[in-house]
Amino acid sequence: MDLKLTDLVHRHKEIAREEKEKSGRLVFGTLCSYVPVEILHAFDILPVRLWGDGKNPERADALLPTYICPPARNIMAMGLAGQYDFLDGVIHSYTCDATCGLFNIWCRNLKPAFSFLLSPPYMNTDEAVAYCIAEFKALIAALEDYTRKRFSAERLRKSINLYDAARECIGAIYQANRNGAAVRYLDLHQMNLALQVLPIERVVPCYDGYLSNVRISLGKGAKRRIMISGSVVSDLDILARIEELGGDIVVDDTCLGYRLVQQRVPPREDPLSALAHYYLDRPPCSSRADFPARKDYFLKTISAFDVNAIIFMHQKFCEPHLADHPFLKKVLAEKGIPQVQLELEGEGLTGQIQTRLEGFFEMLEAG
Amino acid sequence: MEEKKTRKRLQANTALRQIITDFYAEGHRAKAEGRPVIWIPPMNGLIELFYAMGITPVFPENWAPLCAAIGTNRKNFEYAAKRGFSGDLCGYFRNNVGYALDGINEENQPLNGLPAPDFLISFGAGCIPTMKAFQVMCDHFKVPVFRADLPQVAMEKIEKRHIAYGVAQIKRLIRFLEDETGLKFDIDKLRQAVIHTNEACRLWDEIMATRKAVPSPFSAAEIGIMFVMVTRHGTEIAVNFLKDVLREVNEKVARGEGVIPHEKIRLFWDNIPLWYNMQLFNYFEKWDAVVVAETYTSAWSLRLNPDEPLESIAYKSLVSYPLVSCVSLNKRIELITRAVRDYKIDGAILHSNRSCRPISMGQMDIGRVLAEELSVPSVMFDGDHMDGDKFSMAQFQTRVDALMEMILEKKRA
Repeated sequence: MDLKLTDLVHRHKEIAREEKEKSGRLVFGTLCSYVPVEILHAFDILPVRLWGDGKNPERADALLPTYICPPARNIMAMGLAGQYDFLDGVIHSYTCDATCGLFNIWCRNLKPAFSFLLSPPYMNTDEAVAYCIAEFKALIAALEDYTRKRFSAERLRKSINLYDAARECIGAIYQANRNGAAVRYLDLHQMNLALQVLPIERVVPCYDGYLSNVRISLGKGAKRRIMISGSVVSDLDILARIEELGGDIVVDDTCLGYRLVQQRVPPREDPLSALAHYYLDRPPCSSRADFPARKDYFLKTISAFDVNAIIFMHQKFCEPHLADHPFLKKVLAEKGIPQVQLELEGEGLTGQIQTRLEGFFEMLEAG
Repeated sequence: MEEKKTRKRLQANTALRQIITDFYAEGHRAKAEGRPVIWIPPMNGLIELFYAMGITPVFPENWAPLCAAIGTNRKNFEYAAKRGFSGDLCGYFRNNVGYALDGINEENQPLNGLPAPDFLISFGAGCIPTMKAFQVMCDHFKVPVFRADLPQVAMEKIEKRHIAYGVAQIKRLIRFLEDETGLKFDIDKLRQAVIHTNEACRLWDEIMATRKAVPSPFSAAEIGIMFVMVTRHGTEIAVNFLKDVLREVNEKVARGEGVIPHEKIRLFWDNIPLWYNMQLFNYFEKWDAVVVAETYTSAWSLRLNPDEPLESIAYKSLVSYPLVSCVSLNKRIELITRAVRDYKIDGAILHSNRSCRPISMGQMDIGRVLAEELSVPSVMFDGDHMDGDKFSMAQFQTRVDALMEMILEKKRA
């Protein structure tokens, strides 16, 4: 992996702060991949997904119960530690209950100058698209009011093109990975994360460079083809351990992976309508999907990427994924696809997780 | 054996027991007579529509507190665990899924259990556990399913677009029900149901407001009266029952008769009660304390417009969840602040509920507002509204005792 992108991702908060100081650009935090970042970008706002490992998640105990998922506690802890003091606003798009609560508590305690809670539809019907456009328009009206800038459809089209170019590149890298190219999932993870936390203008050239190298590289040979599934997965040491044990993570079902980059914004005259279609056409996350939609995504992706085994990486207390798990297990059992569940408690590669992974790979080997 | 039931003082509880029995019997009667039985989520139930169309609604979520009170919740948890559901999931979810998948087949159930559904309504709204529980049921029962949407919007942010989208969903639901049951929708019957609900909400507010009196005529121990607000909205049953309750509590107020003889401390309760251990509300009595207001009962403090019945039930469905969850923390704090002033609250009990993250998130902020802006002391205890294994009576008593001493000290000063 080009060290440049890893370094940029590592320094993303610093970069956002610099961007703001240098150009006066507004910076907004986002809590979910359903926030239409293209609209923010069209207002020259830098969207930064709130993300990372808080060093002291217990700092969040003053505001959150301990039975909230580790990522939410980490984000709150980072906010309380002042790591996001450069933010001008926070935007959330209702997905799970924990992030909605986090959004409210964040706004009340850290008092961003701008805040907005979008409520996107769960369905994908004509009336849902119309409603979704109305929600986007409400966000635009609030942004016009706050920034004192007029919305420009033309600027939105350009922003969409920029994000689509990034999705196109990452999507192509997933495809190369599918075809056996020498792609490390840790690299893909960094690219996915870069799309969420860095200025879009800075990341596309990095993707292009990586893709060019991948296209001329040798394949990585036969390995166990793994799909990981969960909500927010940020434990790089666990991903690395899966690779060390002979697992090749070829695809994912997480909050910032393949689901987000496999499709482009469809060409339509009205960019808002196109954007609504993109967000509603995307394979929905566990918080938004019903069981048939989850099953559909799982089976199609398993088949397309020729997946041999699934590793569920579930955050402790994550109700949407915990509720889906027995159903998905049943679907996998019917297809004879082995799976293992890891429960993440924000402590990275613990002994327990290591043991489960080792046992799982031994079982795959024996089978 | 330790008594886990609360002592109820209202005469209306006799009628309530009959209403509960009748409600579940009605479901079984409908099933036996070949009339459609539909399982619906609680917050987005659109119950008025079903009653207007002569369809019998069943609320699995409302069944859960009964299971907890009766004690069958533990068996249902076991069933859910055997099916692979995590113990970290909400207790309503575990109970309802365990019951729907396995418990429903048990013999000799209290109230004969729930009649199996002929249809299911599955909404992408409300809290995640409710949404997911219905998805499990949709997968399990091989019956027609209506899937729909309702936006998650803070009450104070509800706009025309949200109502319009809700109405579009309701119209689609009406077509589904007409096609599946052969029954015809009649807007005037819906209007009448909305009139009943509106009247029930008005009566509800009046009943709750009588607790502003000192001494309070009833306590949170009587929270079971909200059964009619969940299951009998849209009917005269709720209206007639609530009229009787109002008459009874007004008479108590007129006589200056409190729920306990020497009321000294007035308390606010945040979050869902512990359905398996309602005796907690009796515990306060040793301190001459009464819970006179709570968050949960504010979910029905709304008004509907019978001239716009579809818009009204869309609005009702939109507001009931945000009112008691963390979709709008500011609105919740506003409600609590008003309650503290109107009900002359001396202290607050915050139930940190492992089974309900949407309601439990924001309680630290609520505690701070109580202390810093309202000078009202509060105490938080860990619990779970369905699972007694996640509650410690000793911890509760220690914390509550400390709070009571603090309040009495403050009163003496």
